[in-house]
Amino acid sequence: MSLDQAPQGRALRIVSVQGGEGVRRRLLALGFRVGAVVEVNARGILRGPLLVKNLTSETSLALGRGVARKIQVEISTNEP
Amino acid sequence: MNPRPPSVVLIGQPNCGKSTLFNALAGLKAETSNFPGTTVKHAHSLVNVEGRLLQVIDLPGTYSLNPCDPAEKVALTHLFSEKPDLIVNVVDASVLSRSLELTLELLELEQPMIIALNMMDLAEKKGIEVDIEGLEKRLGIRVIPIIARHGRGIKDLLVAAFNCLDTGCPVRAPRWSADIEERLSRLVAELHPATCVFGNCRFTAIKWLEADRSFCTEVLTEIDASLRDRIEAAKKGIEEQRQAPAYEVISAERHHLALKIFEQTSRVRRAGRLSWDKRLDELLMHPVLGYPILAAVFLGFFFLIFKIGSPLENLLLKPMSHIRGDLAALLGQGLAFHIADGLLQGIGGGMAIVLPYFLPLLVLMNILQDLGYLARAGFLLDTFMHRIGLHGKSVSPFILGFGCNVPAIVSTRILESRRDRVITSLLIPFIPCSARSTIILALVAVFLGPAWALGFYFFNILAVAAVGRLLTLFYREPSPGLILEIPSLKSPSPRTVLQKTYMELRSFLRFAWPLLIAGSVVLSLLQFVRLDRVLNSALSPLVVYGLGLPKELGITLVFGFLRKELSLVMMLQALGVGYGDLLSVISPPQILVFSVFVSFFIPCLSTFAVLWREMGRRVAFLSAALSIAAAMIFSLLVRLIF
Repeated sequence: MSLDQAPQGRALRIVSVQGGEGVRRRLLALGFRVGAVVEVNARGILRGPLLVKNLTSETSLALGRGVARKIQVEISTNEP
Repeated sequence: MNPRPPSVVLIGQPNCGKSTLFNALAGLKAETSNFPGTTVKHAHSLVNVEGRLLQVIDLPGTYSLNPCDPAEKVALTHLFSEKPDLIVNVVDASVLSRSLELTLELLELEQPMIIALNMMDLAEKKGIEVDIEGLEKRLGIRVIPIIARHGRGIKDLLVAAFNCLDTGCPVRAPRWSADIEERLSRLVAELHPATCVFGNCRFTAIKWLEADRSFCTEVLTEIDASLRDRIEAAKKGIEEQRQAPAYEVISAERHHLALKIFEQTSRVRRAGRLSWDKRLDELLMHPVLGYPILAAVFLGFFFLIFKIGSPLENLLLKPMSHIRGDLAALLGQGLAFHIADGLLQGIGGGMAIVLPYFLPLLVLMNILQDLGYLARAGFLLDTFMHRIGLHGKSVSPFILGFGCNVPAIVSTRILESRRDRVITSLLIPFIPCSARSTIILALVAVFLGPAWALGFYFFNILAVAAVGRLLTLFYREPSPGLILEIPSLKSPSPRTVLQKTYMELRSFLRFAWPLLIAGSVVLSLLQFVRLDRVLNSALSPLVVYGLGLPKELGITLVFGFLRKELSLVMMLQALGVGYGDLLSVISPPQILVFSVFVSFFIPCLSTFAVLWREMGRRVAFLSAALSIAAAMIFSLLVRLIF
């Protein structure tokens, strides 16, 4: 499933990151790489951004819905 | 002694406490001025430590060294071409694993380097234990634990720095997996030393491999066109072998090495973090409750500044009018009185009217920044920013603009797309900076009431939104999505806040205050030779018939271009009354028109200059035109309504 549809407060493992090279490079620099475990902490009202915490690199990001849609995740069974 | 003091570059990831360390160092014994992000691309300071001079340079935070990124290129010339004598890599110990990725990249430069392992207290709270000696051994360089916020470990850091400068400290680039190493060394062997434009040949080769197609290839073709094919071949080899783009492969190499070093040298005693900040953060970023909190923060901000500034202003203004009376009695009405009066107005105006509001605003802004609230406001306001064609990342430059437009425009560099930068930079001059807040508070709040001043701010924000809406009609391409890092909440450290306020206050005293004084004296002299009437008559069609203001104010509006407070200080002088008697010569609606016009009319000289430097001449003049148009329209509207 894509990150913008993922349940809040669950550990999620990044399966793939799509989108343009620019966006992928930026996400990579911030530790959003395949295999990293992330968690959705909040969702902005009125289709606002997602607050996503990368549990592997301890980075919190606000991601627009468009960007979040490009990140595919699965529910992670074991915590990092 | 050396003819040139050795240069030391501070570099680290965003929010690693680099600037705090810089301020702690510069605050030790700053020999010359330092310009925090305003007049130069980076802050630098000449520091005197026990008789030895150091040139300390603070580079903007970065996650990786990408010389192909035009935005990063300027800052990184310090690393590549000017070759500093020492690199100090500032590392946040509480996120060591991720921070080491930049460290490994810096090691590839093979230049003298030490690590300032910052935020040791935070790491300890999170239960992270770092084996300093082990880390030194693994990386091959000195690692000095510090807590920059409390000034701890700074001495040790300086000792290590001087040690490195005196006796040298060789650095060896880290090695990667055998297959990548093999391809890399083959490419390095093919490079001619003259083509190694970024430091050494290995580093240059890595950068070519990591580069994207757009920018760097142009540079490359200029140097050696045949090289391009060989690099493309090496890239292709890596991509086929690893089934991923070359830049991802190299990033993964660094990532795995950093993870390995972290696991070998650190122990995490207990997972889970202290909860006060987590719970507070949940409240601040709550999708619903976050908004009333945001509103309360800004209302509180406004009232606090007003409640501190207004009584202080009254207190300071009293002696001024006494002195003025004494001066007139002493010197008569000749040239001497005019010069003395100009000086008094400038010095007194700066001290009694500007500082009471300016100073609390600086302190509060620095507290908000140190807390990390700006990024949180960006998260909350993202949806609304989309309505004016921008996104949440522009919020932080906007809020900085309430302090001063100049660093706010510089900070738009965080925006990825040129379109977003242009729109944000054009909107920032509409944000009431501290100078204009002083005018709003000292004129509107005092003479019309605080509610009017609040209404002024509200209207001002609406104006920003309206202009933003208008601009997006001309810049139609969509804004790229939001990727905004939210730094962890930190309780503001009084030390950091005071240090920053001190630096800003110093630049006000050195740059703006002399300008206020000089402006007042010039006006005084103009009045003495009666030249002011000529200028005022020339401006009277606009001032008297357009805005309905006293003719004498014409000249003060012009001088506002130098510095917005100048209009305020000169207004009293031009009208020839004390601050308390202002209402005897000008009515409240006139005060409102004057404030609106001064506030919107033309970005001040420094803002104009920084717009020109950062965004180019076209944007600077466009901004001036927009401001003049807005000032005319809004002040005419105010005149018609009130």
